[in-house]
Amino acid sequence: MAARGLLLASFLLFSCFAETYGMISFSSLPRTLVVTASHRQGLLKADEDKITVIWGLNQSFPAGTDSAYTTIKVKLCYAPISQVDRAWRKTVDHLSKDKTCQFKIVSRPYSNTNQTFQWTIECDVPTATYFVRAYAFNAEDHEVAYGQNTDAKKTTNLFEIQAITGRHVSLDIASVCFSAFSIVALMGFFFAEKRKGRKAQQ
Amino acid sequence: MEVQGTVPESHPPKFTLPVDTEHKATEFRLFSVAAPHMRAFHLAWVSFFSCFVSTFAAPPLLPIIRDNLNLTSTDIGNAGIAAVSGAVFARLAMGTACDLFGPRLASASLILLTTPAVYFTSIASSPVSFLLVRFFTGFSIATFVSTQFWMSSMFSAPVVGTANGVAGGWGNLGGGATQLIMPIVFGLIRHTGADNFTAWRIAFFIPALFQTLSAFAVLIFGQDLPDGNFRGLQKSGDKPKDKFSLVFYHGITNYRGWILALTYGYCFGVELAVDNIIAEYFYDRFNLKLHTAGMIAASFGLANVISRPGGGIISDVVAKRFGMRGRLWTLWVVQTLGGVFCIILGQVGSLSASIAVMIAFSLFVQAACGLTFGVVPFISRRSLGVISGMTGGGGNVGAVLTQLIFFKGSKYSKETGITLMGVMIICCTLPICLIYFPQWGGMFCGPSDKQTEEDYYMSEWSSTEKEKGLHHASLKFADNSRSEKGRRVKAAALPTDESSPTQV
Repeated sequence: MAARGLLLASFLLFSCFAETYGMISFSSLPRTLVVTASHRQGLLKADEDKITVIWGLNQSFPAGTDSAYTTIKVKLCYAPISQVDRAWRKTVDHLSKDKTCQFKIVSRPYSNTNQTFQWTIECDVPTATYFVRAYAFNAEDHEVAYGQNTDAKKTTNLFEIQAITGRHVSLDIASVCFSAFSIVALMGFFFAEKRKGRKAQQ
Repeated sequence: MEVQGTVPESHPPKFTLPVDTEHKATEFRLFSVAAPHMRAFHLAWVSFFSCFVSTFAAPPLLPIIRDNLNLTSTDIGNAGIAAVSGAVFARLAMGTACDLFGPRLASASLILLTTPAVYFTSIASSPVSFLLVRFFTGFSIATFVSTQFWMSSMFSAPVVGTANGVAGGWGNLGGGATQLIMPIVFGLIRHTGADNFTAWRIAFFIPALFQTLSAFAVLIFGQDLPDGNFRGLQKSGDKPKDKFSLVFYHGITNYRGWILALTYGYCFGVELAVDNIIAEYFYDRFNLKLHTAGMIAASFGLANVISRPGGGIISDVVAKRFGMRGRLWTLWVVQTLGGVFCIILGQVGSLSASIAVMIAFSLFVQAACGLTFGVVPFISRRSLGVISGMTGGGGNVGAVLTQLIFFKGSKYSKETGITLMGVMIICCTLPICLIYFPQWGGMFCGPSDKQTEEDYYMSEWSSTEKEKGLHHASLKFADNSRSEKGRRVKAAALPTDESSPTQV
């Protein structure tokens, strides 16, 4: 118990040092939050389906662990498979440069009890595989702890979301019509030129 | 230059600008829209600008498109290469089409035929369809060749470098302007309430419509030659119709065309490659915001507003004193310096130094493009289009090669790639030393006393063709190109005394 307390204290101290140097690293954050995400079975659709997120402090940690927590931000994060060959989604230890979690689900002031939120997947979420992570922020708006619904290797409890296409029937029709018009106009010009040439000869 | 005045002919047309015996303008007045010369200039550069805007419309919106279409870095890289590779053969085909049908019809046809690809970008739904639309849209920048051909047909030797340089440079500007235009258009559309993934699709209608309208303008207001259009002149007998096979043959057998194709790949080709990678380079190396990196990338392309025209103007200024030899030397010096700045760019580590070096690099490399097309109009008269097409196509080959060798995958870091690209620029610019015009000389050798301009340009016509009188246009051109001898020899070359005996 005391050892755990000491470990925790050293974690907090480390993260204090990290924040004074301005570079908080993910590996320095303790995993003190428990996060679960539930949704319907199968491929989730952006702009349609909902995800219910529940988060709270892991009660097995000693009291006082959450003394610095002011805000909780829950984010949608890319699973490793969706980061392959896509440098703009890269996981980097320094949180200010980390691009793993690009979508904010909700931001709430920290509360001791378990919190729930039902989120309708926004329409700018791309097709990919995801997990959910919650960051705890202190009063200076620095990350001090986290929790996620998957394991450390990010292999379990992942879910897939399919994006909206962004296409509309009206756009499709407009594209085809304008393209056809360009080609027809070109042929019309050629025809007119030929007629002018024939007339000039006569 | 009081070399020429209007020669009275059967139907003396009145021109606003002073012209030579071929009715090509001997002055370049930027703010005039007088038909046919300056009007052709404005139509040419605006339509070419619209093609560049369309071809490079995707890169600034990639952060949205890559999420919508689920693209990987490899997909994006391949699409970037596809966008510039289509034009390799399109430029050569365009050159031939200009020789046979005239720049007005050739360019308007290409522009209208590629516009569907831009409209269809709005309905792309996968990496493959994205690559295909970028590939076909890229064909449109073959209008570069028709632009240069048109300017070379409308403007005389003393100003042809300037006309080519300004038209080419202001067209290339589209590649930089689009990095600013597309995000703004996208933002405005999103403001009206559209989703990200719909807004970028609607945004593509803007470059597509611009392209369509510019093609209409070319068809309605444009004219191939100072005296009229190809078809009209061919029917009235003023311009003989030429044979494709011979035009093509005389173009590809001229070694100077091949040398310039290679060297153009290392000024223009490098410019295209840098257009594709420079935003990412600044974003990754200096951790800038995407918006900031995009603005720096745009400034590289925007330098074209003065750098390429500057190259063309310098070519003409140098030619007044030193003739063709001056044009060749200046081209070699400027392009080599471009290579030097490229090497330095890969080496500097601070942001402000990088931006400064990048601007210097862009000025020299783009000026070299302008200088190249100060030489191209003189390589062949019969096959001007084919030579322009070869050089232009060579530019795109350089772009493809450079991206494949130095910027694909993770073999070289971007900094190393840029440095090595600079070394390659210097090496591939050396062949300019091998260009030799018998009547004017080369970089290291003076002109031969026995060869004249007429000999050089008449060598493209057989004696049977000369009997039929097909070579008259080339003869006029040879006469007008005597200024390429430079000032020292000008006193001995007064054309009014030396009028050719075959001037019927």
